[in-house]
Amino acid sequence: MGDDKVVKVALIGNPNTGKTSLFNQLTGLKQKVGNYPGITVEKKQGICKLNDTLKAEITDLPGTYSINPTSLDETLVLDTLLNSTSESFPDVVVVVVEIENIKRNLLLFTQLKDLNIPTILVINMIDQMNRKGINIDVNQLEESLHTKIVLASARKKIGIQELKTAILSYKKLDTTPVSNITDRIDKEYFTNLKNAFPEFPLYKSWLLITQNTEFDFLDANQKALVLKFREDIGCIKKYQHKETILRYQIINEVLKDSFIVDKSKASDLRGVLDRVLTHKIFGYVIFALILLFIFQGIFDWATYPMDLIDESFASLSSWLETVLPPGTFTSLIAEGIIPGIGGVVIFIPQIAILFTFIAILEETGYMSRVVFLMDKIMRKFGMSGKSVIPLISGTACAIPAIMASRNIGNWKERLITILVIPFTTCSARLPVYAILIALIIPNQKVLGILNLQGLTMMALYLLGFTAAIFSAVLLNNVLKIEKKTLFVIEMPNYKIPSIKNIFYEVVEKTKAFIFGAGKIILAISIILWFLASNGPSTFKNAEQFITSKEENKNLSESALQKKVAAYKLENSYIGYMGKTIEPAIKPMGYDWKIGIAVISSFAAREVFVGALATIYNVDSDSENSGSIKKRMAAEINPDTGKKRFDFPTGVSLLLFYAFAMQCIGTLAIVKRETNSWKWPILQLVGMGILAYITATLAFNIFS
Amino acid sequence: MQDILAYITLGLAIGFLVKKYFFKTKKKGKCNTNCGC
Repeated sequence: MGDDKVVKVALIGNPNTGKTSLFNQLTGLKQKVGNYPGITVEKKQGICKLNDTLKAEITDLPGTYSINPTSLDETLVLDTLLNSTSESFPDVVVVVVEIENIKRNLLLFTQLKDLNIPTILVINMIDQMNRKGINIDVNQLEESLHTKIVLASARKKIGIQELKTAILSYKKLDTTPVSNITDRIDKEYFTNLKNAFPEFPLYKSWLLITQNTEFDFLDANQKALVLKFREDIGCIKKYQHKETILRYQIINEVLKDSFIVDKSKASDLRGVLDRVLTHKIFGYVIFALILLFIFQGIFDWATYPMDLIDESFASLSSWLETVLPPGTFTSLIAEGIIPGIGGVVIFIPQIAILFTFIAILEETGYMSRVVFLMDKIMRKFGMSGKSVIPLISGTACAIPAIMASRNIGNWKERLITILVIPFTTCSARLPVYAILIALIIPNQKVLGILNLQGLTMMALYLLGFTAAIFSAVLLNNVLKIEKKTLFVIEMPNYKIPSIKNIFYEVVEKTKAFIFGAGKIILAISIILWFLASNGPSTFKNAEQFITSKEENKNLSESALQKKVAAYKLENSYIGYMGKTIEPAIKPMGYDWKIGIAVISSFAAREVFVGALATIYNVDSDSENSGSIKKRMAAEINPDTGKKRFDFPTGVSLLLFYAFAMQCIGTLAIVKRETNSWKWPILQLVGMGILAYITATLAFNIFS
Repeated sequence: MQDILAYITLGLAIGFLVKKYFFKTKKKGKCNTNCGC
């Protein structure tokens, strides 16, 4: 193997076969996430070192049950494997099957094998073999399937080296099709098909005519032939049906002697656990208790590291002001950049805890039970059980969640899911909620064990889900799109979560938050600092104006500094902008400073905290500087003399952020996924009106 | 000097946001959107 190139490997399999675990074992942290995020529809790439000279570029394709796509993410698999001229066409395909569901998983394998691409079959989770009473004759199975088989347990790191060795020898792999079924379906029809496309393997030609997709890699003549074959759709459907039956017959025949299951030797708790976790009453109770535990954890465990980070950034800011020479750039660093970065970093503990829990639920196999449990309910609201994963993914970020909705086959269900996802509480709302809750809700225990702030956070998450559900009902009745769909979900085995997988997941999601949102927050913080630190002539003459006033003559130095700082901010560029919008936001209980933060956070919700931190930092004199929370708590409403962030204003802001579509990125992705500006504009206007009305009502009711 | 550095940083921040929201980099390859929309 002296080839000086990278071997392109496509990792393919049914959902929940442990494909992602295998990908993690092969690539470690050398991964990059492509265009299709979300655990079940991800297209990830990573590099795997095969030996001292050769590397493999592994592409983790979306999980699919067969090569005939029923959703957009499954189309990706087909696209990758049919276009042999494409850069992403693999040198070798690694098909991952799960030992307990091998029969169903092999359907996809037989289809791929018939495309004459070098193929390796990985039978995953072999550590379960004895517990399930399974015995495999690998040699016989290899012979029957004309393939190289690797027995592996990605979670236990078994078979990884064997797989690398098999990939190294990919040129020696047998590319003979596993099932010559075409003659048994209709010999004449398939002979005609073969003659029409002599340059392609027969099964590839069959896929070209059976898929309702235009393949760009075909020339005009080939496209015309494809369309001609597609005219007889009745015949195609009939033969597809026959194909599936014949494939299963072959799989049964192959497995009859080489894959023996002795149930008497099996010992598993799966059935018992399934009965409890998907029970029509206990199932929902357990799910609610798990959610409660998660939100308690977010508040109780994250407090200490968050306080530490908050204080550290405040100290760093003060320290830099003392050690650096005074001037504009020092002021930018101490008052703009450091508080801006602090506004991002402070939420790492809460985000990491949330994603750790979500990753554990996915890893254990519990999430699939939640999907099954929720399907009945979701259907009543115009969505499907598959909508649960995007909705739960929406607690991380609406953008990958909206992309994850690609695995919903029905367009109406998918559109409704896309439109309601932004109501679910994303991690960008977490910083806003966390700081507002800490300011307006006392940190006390309820019933001796439950934290009141944690309960409030959970209530806000439930509010988001409730808003999503009600919107879905409304859209289901309003949208006149026909729908008819079946729900199929894989119930994976329960597993002890892999710490490595959880670690990678949490690191990836936290990194995405810091480097994705963080850069925007930092840039906006710098601009806000400039707008708050500069202004027209009234700003420049602030010191002279304040000191010349008779009423200020007897003030102490610090009180005078405070007055100057407040006057400067009010007469800065940002002050003028804020004052302009103040009449529109006053009914919600906001002043112009909050208004500036609300407008800035239209780019991304989490900017709200960073923006306020910057504004209040510029506003504060040296005596009053401190952590973000302290500065917000110390802010006084000059009209009432009470705290600016009192209960009515806090609730109003919480509701505003719960409902408003404050995210440019989400709008862009909705436009891309729906291929129309109509839907994102509908979201923006609809959610904006709802947010404005509820925030105004809440402020006036609680005032 | 401090003023120059501050303005350069401000320019970089504005440039970053303008590039991010107004000049999206085009992705290579095709994206099949045959989803019935």
